[in-house]
Parts: sequence; structure tokens; C-alpha cells
Amino acid sequence: MGRKKLTALFLVAAMAISCFAGCGKKAGDTMVIEVYDVAANYQGTQTGWFAKVVKDRFNIELNIIAPQVAGDSIYQTRASSGNLGDIILLDGTDFADCVKAGLVKDISAELKDTKYLKDYQKQIDTYNAGLPDNTAGATYGIPAQMTNTSPTSYSQDVIYSSPLLRWDLYSELGCPDIEDLDGLLDVLEDMMKKHPTNKDGDACYPLSLWADWDGGDGMLGIANVVQLTTWYGEKIKGSAILKPDNSFTSITDKNASYYKMLKFLNDAYRRGLVDPDSGTQDWNSACAKMSAGQVYLMWYSWQVGFWNTQDRLKDGSAFIFTPVKDQLYYADSDTYYGSGRIFGVGSKVEGEKLERIIEFLDWYASPEGLVFQHDGIEGFNYTVDGSGKFTIMNDNALMDNLPVPEEYGGAGYSDGNNAINQWIVDAISTNPNSGEPYSSQYWSSYKAATMTQMKKDWQAKFGAAEPVEYMKKNNVLLVSPNVSVTLPSDTADISVIRKQCNEALCDASWQMIFAKDDAEFNAKWDAMCKTMDGMGFQDLLKFDMEKHQIEVDAKIAASK
Amino acid sequence: MKVFSNKKKMRSYREFLYILPFLILVAVFAYYPLYGWVYAFFDYRPPFPLSKESFVGLKWFKSMVENEVKLKQTLTVLRNTFAMSGLSLLFSWFPMIFAVFLNEIKCKPFKKFVQTVTTLPNFISWVLVYSIAYCIFNSTGVVNEVLINLGVIDSPQAFLQSGEHIWFKMWLWLTWKNAGWSAIMYIAAITGIDEQMIEAARVDGASRMQIIRHITIPSILPTYFVLVMLSLANFLSNGMEQYFVFQNSFNKESIQVLDLYVYNIAMGSGGYSLATAISILKSVVSISILCVTNKISKMIRGEGFI
Repeated sequence: MGRKKLTALFLVAAMAISCFAGCGKKAGDTMVIEVYDVAANYQGTQTGWFAKVVKDRFNIELNIIAPQVAGDSIYQTRASSGNLGDIILLDGTDFADCVKAGLVKDISAELKDTKYLKDYQKQIDTYNAGLPDNTAGATYGIPAQMTNTSPTSYSQDVIYSSPLLRWDLYSELGCPDIEDLDGLLDVLEDMMKKHPTNKDGDACYPLSLWADWDGGDGMLGIANVVQLTTWYGEKIKGSAILKPDNSFTSITDKNASYYKMLKFLNDAYRRGLVDPDSGTQDWNSACAKMSAGQVYLMWYSWQVGFWNTQDRLKDGSAFIFTPVKDQLYYADSDTYYGSGRIFGVGSKVEGEKLERIIEFLDWYASPEGLVFQHDGIEGFNYTVDGSGKFTIMNDNALMDNLPVPEEYGGAGYSDGNNAINQWIVDAISTNPNSGEPYSSQYWSSYKAATMTQMKKDWQAKFGAAEPVEYMKKNNVLLVSPNVSVTLPSDTADISVIRKQCNEALCDASWQMIFAKDDAEFNAKWDAMCKTMDGMGFQDLLKFDMEKHQIEVDAKIAASK
Repeated sequence: MKVFSNKKKMRSYREFLYILPFLILVAVFAYYPLYGWVYAFFDYRPPFPLSKESFVGLKWFKSMVENEVKLKQTLTVLRNTFAMSGLSLLFSWFPMIFAVFLNEIKCKPFKKFVQTVTTLPNFISWVLVYSIAYCIFNSTGVVNEVLINLGVIDSPQAFLQSGEHIWFKMWLWLTWKNAGWSAIMYIAAITGIDEQMIEAARVDGASRMQIIRHITIPSILPTYFVLVMLSLANFLSNGMEQYFVFQNSFNKESIQVLDLYVYNIAMGSGGYSLATAISILKSVVSISILCVTNKISKMIRGEGFI
């Protein structure tokens, strides 16, 4: 009996203590905020260090709903229930539809009292004024990834897509000038002849492709090919191609760059330079090959992250931009008005929840919030010197998921990283506290540390400090100004046509890359055009040209 | 109360209450979802509710056959569906024969071993099956390495990339995965056979093969027929997971079956209305096939199965 009593007493004491402890906390209960997030790759409650950062400041937990994980049908089910989420992040066209369907809250009044979001008032107002039927001038959305530079400037050192070669292999060949795509293939073929395998003896192929992302990002066709079209100043907009002179042509135009790039890949295949698994492997397999050094050509700026390390930059085996003489590179300028995705608040949110969400969003756009999002934790990811300049530390924190000290929230760094995966303000924007961009690659300390022999050799050969400087100097960079427009969404008819045409185009494109001769290559192309026309391609093309003309007109106006 | 005054009536009420939960289950999970069919008659597009969309009647049904190209695609998809379901049907005796021979193995541990090994693949998901297939058949996989080392081929072959014999290959994968599992039903049926018949046959001097031919197989044939007819009703729905993981741009022409086609159209874009229309057609055809086979069964065996 005595022991039972003791236990009971102990339990009562424990309860009392926990109750007091609870009362000692911040006013109000922990609130769970649902974030419907098209950018997220993770679904569930935010954990780790970023969860701690948010909880300590706002006493909220973020519950991420990610259509990329759950599948696109979650958009349909949640939208039909009338509540997408508390915080909503959508692509611009869908966002406008949701405003129309009454799923997004008018936050004009709430935004007036914010401290940091106000700095972006001009961009926010421009976006909301462009929303269809928004005659009352209400504010629904906050564009994502805005910058504090200008809509026509290009601040980065590299562009999204350009030919990237291994510097050690390229200099081994004597750094030959590359005149055109054939020249590029010659160089790649020589590289492959000299190094048919990597250090581990695995076969290397200059090009390794993957099919997972086909038809994504609002562009018809193979994801790997649509990026390459920007090497000739052409940008795919849906089913149309925007040419450097701001006119449109069809993606099925034989004189345009989609066909040209398919031909390039087919030539590469016929020379034996394309990984034979390209048509059947997924992104993970392709990625593993990049990390193992089995690939000699990369074309996305972020792709180098799977190979380039400080050590490889030092020993000269890293990937770097290598110009091809006849190319004209297309790049979208700084995303002054935003990248196209929009943050909003769900129409059902009221009262204290609304207050906390607005507070959170304001902080999300503040220098403090942005440093957490783009740079991580002070004392773990970077240090600040007396003059306020940042220096990077633990630069492999994300890649190797380094353990975070308990005081910052514990768990792995990558696991606890911001799962919203989208920012209101872009990393290229200037941090007012340090006078340098948020992105660590543009810190003076980082630039000094990465001034390797390889970089010096590259600068000597091409006469420029950075790839973009080379492009600007030689007049081969075409910067497309950033504008804020809301484009009409697909009708039910158009979306079916788009889906079917995309399938027909991708299937034929893959078969063309693996075609044995010109006759087969052209036959497949012609058959594909016929199939696509039967699916209603001409209607789609007309729709896309009219739709993107709105954007082009705005771009022309902006560059004047 | 008047209702309960009649004992017989009370009992029937009580018994109705017994089945009520099941009626509700069926209504909620089998009939209520049919409401979704209305999407086929609208130009539906999320996030707008149906009340804001326009009614289009049979437009989506007509669009499947409205021109040569679309008709051809519809027919190709149907051809693939029929071919793959047909192959499964053609070889539907395989698990039965497998069960019969498995039953003949006298060494118990070996029998158990074979049965476990053949049943296990049923529990592996198709996604994993594809990973296994990719590891074995990619350009640096086991098969290519062995064939190159033996001098049969001189450069790696892209086995997964070719659309040749894809129906047969798909059948092989399906059989590898399902044969052991499907055999369980037949093994159960075999254990139900009267021992006396077999002993009597043995006394009469019947050989093992004769016992199989004249006793075992005829005894499990009714099970076989029921299973075949049930699978006939599912003729058009051969599932999509298997074909989804194995599909690529090179074999899609021959691998895209109805279910996969519906998935490819509906997901990731707003093709919900067309996809629903195709599903409705599929259900209608499936029901007709079921009724026809039931009729045939009545004509041949004298009894139906529904």
C-alpha cells in the first residue's frame, strides 16, 4: 500500500510540475499550420532545426502537404473540399484559378502592417493587379523568389543551362576551340577514347539521359532536350518555341532548335557517346553515374553539384562552362517579380491563426528568416566576422546530412532543412546586414577560397572572370526580362490535347535519339507530326502562342 | 407495439438488421463511388466545383473515335489489353498443372521449399520487381556481362528498351510473380479429393499419370472453371502497376493497356473527364462479358456461376 501511495503522490507532483511548465511557455497553444506546397519534396510535419527555429519564434508547427509526394490528384480532392491549406504555394496559373474558385483569402488589410513584406510592395501590387477579375485591387498572393535587384539585370555568375565539361579532360586535349555541336561531339569522343572508364573501371559515356522529368515545367518534350534549346537562344513555351526575335514557331518546326538538339543527341548516339541505359534508367541511376564520374557532359548549372567539390576544384577535375562558338545562350533575368509561384493564405483561415501566419510570412521575407533559409545556422553553417561578412563552414552539411548540435534542434542538417523548399526572396538578393547576396557562392570569402589554379587557367584561356562575364563580353547572352503576368489556364480540351501530344512527342523523341540512320530518324519525326496533328496539336499551338504572347508583350515593354 | 406483436415479422426485422451493416458497406464503397461517373459528362477541371463547369453530354465518349489517329490509338490500347489478358487466359491452366505436379513431390521438405520460393514473389511490389529487372538487364547488368564474356554478343543489348515480344515478356514476369500464389487454390482443391478414389485406382493398377489424368484433374476442373470465368469478367482490367513500371518510350506502343492508358491520361493533367469516360466504357464492356460467359457456362455445364 505504501508504495502505491508514493507512486500516486509522485504522479500528482509530476502532473503539477508539467502543468506549471506548460503555463510558463509562450501564450497560446502550439498551432499546426497546413502548408499546401507544390515545391516540397517532403510530406509531413517539419522536423529538426528548422522546426525549432519556427516553433521558438511563432509557436507553430508546419504540416507540409506535397503534391510532388502525394500525387497531383491531391490538388483535385483538396480543392473540391474547399480547403487547400492554411498557407498555399501554387504555380501562378493554378493560383489564379484558386482565387477565382474562392479558395484564397484577401489579405490586403493584414499586409499593410507587415514590416518586411512591405519592401516588396511594388512587386506584390503588380502581381495582384494582373490577376484576372481583380478590379477591386485586393491582395491575394505574394510572389515567390522575388529579388531586390531589377527586372532586367542578370546577377548570377552562371546560367541555368550551358555546356559544362570536365576541365582536366578538356585541358588534356589541349583546350581546343569548339566551333559548333559537331566540334563538341569531337571533343567528347576524344575524351571517351582516352578515358573509356572511370577510376573504378565502370564504363563512361559522355552523355547519360533520363526520362523521369519529361513534359515538366510547362514545356512539351524530353526534359533533357528542352533545356538544350536555350543554347541557341530559343526557349520552349508549352508547345511553341520562342525565338530570339520574339516570334513564335512550333516545337515541331524542323528548322527550330528542338529538332536540332534531337539531331545532336542522335549524332552522339550514333558515335557511341550516349549511355545505352538512357531510355530506361530513372533519375537516381543517372545521378549515381554523375557522382561516380561516368559522365563527361553536363548541362544544368546545378548538376555540377553532384561532382564538383572543393578538392576537385583544386585538382582541376571539376566541371566548368566551356563555350561553343556558334551558340547564343538564353537566360531568364533576375526574378525581380518572382519566379512564377505564388504564396497565399487559405480562405478559411481566421483570427489568431491568420495573425500568426502573417507574422510568419513576414519573418519568412526578413533578413533573419532569409539567412536561415539560404545559409543555415550561425556557428554551424557559417561564421560572421567583425565587418558583418559571412564565411562558410561545414560546406558539406546538406550533401552529407551532418548531425546538427542538440541546441539547434538536433537530427541531420538535410533532414531538418526547410521543407517548404521555396522562398519569398531569392538567394541572389542582397542581405542588408552583410552587403553581400544571401547565396554563399557570392560571398567574397567563398570567392577567395575557390580561386584555384583551374579557375585561373580558365580565366586566362577565356579572358573573363566568370562564365556570365564571358558571355556578356562576347555578346552571346540573351537575357529575357522578368515580368509579372498571369497566363490563362488550360481548358479541359486543351489539357487533354497537351497530355496526349506530349506523350506522342516524348515517345518519338526517345526513339529518334536511338535511331540508326537518317531515314529512320526522319520517318519517326514525320509520323510523330501526323499523330500529334490528329490529337489536335494545331489547336494547342494556337492556344499556347496566344497565351505566351501576353508574356512576350510584357517582356518587350519591360526591356524598353 | 403492433410491429412486434407478430413474431414472424419481428424475426424478419431482426434478420434484416443482421445484413444491414453489409448493405451499408456495399452502398458506400460500391455504389456511392459510381456518382463519380458524372465527371465524364462535364468539362471538369480542378479546382472548380462541378457546378461551375459546363455540361458537355457525350463529347468525351465521341472524342475517343473522332478521327483516324485517335481511333487508332484507342484500338491499339484495346489490342494490347486483349493480347495480354488473352495470353493470361490461354495459359491459365499453368498454375493448375503446377499445383498438380507440386502435389506429386514425395519429399516433403523439398515440396515446401518449392512452394515457398514460388509464392514469395507475389509479395514483392512491382516497383521492386522493376528494380530487380533493371539490375539484371541494364547495359552493365548480369545478363549483358555473361553474354559478352561468352562471346554471344559484342556490345551490350538494351533488353528493357525493346518493344519486341513485350506481351510474352510481360506474361513471363506475371507468371513468375503469381504462379505460386494462384496454385494455392488448386492445392487446397486437391487435398479435398477423396482418398478412396485414388486408392481404388491404385488397386486397379493405375499409373501415376493415369491417376492425375483421370482423377486429380477432373476433380479440380470445377475450381478451374470458376476461376477462369471470374478472370474473364476482369478481362479488361489487367491492372496497371506492372505495365506502368515497365513502360518506356520504346515499348509503350505495345505495353499500354486500358488501365495504364486511363492513368496516363488522367494523372498530372486535367484529363479527368476523358479518363472517367473510358472507365465507364470499360465497366460496361466488363459487365457484358460477364453476362455472356455466364450464359455460355449455363449452356455448356448446365449451371451458371452467378
